[in-house]
Amino acid sequence: MREISIVGVGLHPWGKFKDKTFIEIGTVAIANALKDAGVEWKDVQAIFSGIYIYGGNAGHISGQYLESVFGETGIPVVNVYNACATGSAALRMAYNSIAAGEVDTALAVGVDISPEGFLSAKSDNPRQDRDVLRWRMAGMPNPVYWALECRKRMARYGTSDEDLARVKVVLSQYGAKNPNARYKKTYTLEEVMNSLMVCDPLRLLEVCATSDGAAAVILSASPGAVKKADRPVKIAATTMGSALYGDPTLRISALSAPAAAEAPLLSESYSASRQAYKKAGIGPEDIDVLELPDNSSWHYLQYLETCGFCGEGEAEKMLRDGQTQIGGRLAVCPSGGFSSFGEAIGAQAIWQVVEASNQLRGRCGERQVPDAKVAMAQTYGLMGNSGTTILKV
Amino acid sequence: MEKTQTQKARVPALPDLFDFSGDSVRIRSARCGSCGTYFFPEYHAQHRSGCSREGVEPVLLSNSGKLASYTIEHYMCPPPFKTAENISPYGIGLVEFPEGIQVAGLIMESDLDALQIGQEVETITYALYRNEEGQDVVTWAFRVLK
Repeated sequence: MREISIVGVGLHPWGKFKDKTFIEIGTVAIANALKDAGVEWKDVQAIFSGIYIYGGNAGHISGQYLESVFGETGIPVVNVYNACATGSAALRMAYNSIAAGEVDTALAVGVDISPEGFLSAKSDNPRQDRDVLRWRMAGMPNPVYWALECRKRMARYGTSDEDLARVKVVLSQYGAKNPNARYKKTYTLEEVMNSLMVCDPLRLLEVCATSDGAAAVILSASPGAVKKADRPVKIAATTMGSALYGDPTLRISALSAPAAAEAPLLSESYSASRQAYKKAGIGPEDIDVLELPDNSSWHYLQYLETCGFCGEGEAEKMLRDGQTQIGGRLAVCPSGGFSSFGEAIGAQAIWQVVEASNQLRGRCGERQVPDAKVAMAQTYGLMGNSGTTILKV
Repeated sequence: MEKTQTQKARVPALPDLFDFSGDSVRIRSARCGSCGTYFFPEYHAQHRSGCSREGVEPVLLSNSGKLASYTIEHYMCPPPFKTAENISPYGIGLVEFPEGIQVAGLIMESDLDALQIGQEVETITYALYRNEEGQDVVTWAFRVLK
């Protein structure tokens, strides 16, 4: 297998940019990645772009629109959508294209400008899109799903309101030091616990917002490009997983789940992470930095278990003991996480990889994880799909 | 034919999801005769890997089950959720039926703070709004059994 490295990364900062187009913010991310890599546009031999579902026809062929800005060169441009794991899919395809020897250097990019407020149904046919059912028949926005799982966890393991609030307290300290974050205010435990109850037991500051942002990564196996790069990062694994039959998670958009578990919760993420550990030949104990999908405080806790960083019901102890903080056993979301950035569906998986690689390149200043050698980026997506990327220096 | 004679007082917001023709309200499910899996909605198949997918039959779930989890939503859900008035804060429950499937839906209780995991709940209908023909447009919902 060829050794494939990340040689350049680029972002457009996260925020709300309703007066900008996805093309404008995508262009910024790609230009930054090219500059970081010292790679010229003509040397990019393939593009894998996240489909931007709110962008109409243009959004569905986002890669072609972005290519045309830099100059059309006839290379393969493939657009892919896997909900919140869209960026994982683009990255994995870029990796596989290089691994197969088809190209030496490829670009993976993801862009999103979210609609205002709650995300809602995109079709009106209930027989083929059960998303219609959950909105029309039960009034269930996404945080309802997270709250239902969170309540189960609290009953099973004694997770406290304070544990849920502490997640925000920790992440807000990192977000405050990340220039690309949307939310830069730090919070005390008391402030989080006094924030509005949104979806009991989850409070406003314990649920992530929807944001706009763009992220790009340039991957290469070209010895010249790798040599020229500033501290290239090796991709040890980039995998995707789907759910397992019998997973008891009430998945977003579903209105039912099996009562008796025959598979782990979040089995798609379990699947993706186990594939990645196997491919990389390492285990969770070898990871220094973890970017996980903290859509809510529940996710932060659950993902530590789902990805094997602790046993069932032990995540709260890891958090309380400071083991998940910078300087602890495992630095979790030293970027500030979705908590500080918000979700930008098509872009967030690539953004996580950008943040993880910046830690391994020692670029994170005040929130740098000391001596970080191995990092993992883990995503979560609608209808059971997930991606895991493990990076090494 | 007199329209008023055939018109029903209650119509479902979407078809084929629940049955309220009898004395009790029942969620409409389907059971695969090969892998034993219950589906909801009945037209959304989710078979065990390797199943022959033969012998899928519609079934009505029991009228009552246990509250497996719940939440209280403090903000009104945006369209396409449609109700006659703002019902927030409103309850949503996940109910485990004896058949081995959990189903989510609105909870109709005056005291949402009294909800507890493990409570016995029954399936009822809830009138979301009244249509132009004067009919109640209903969905399924749950209520604690006293």
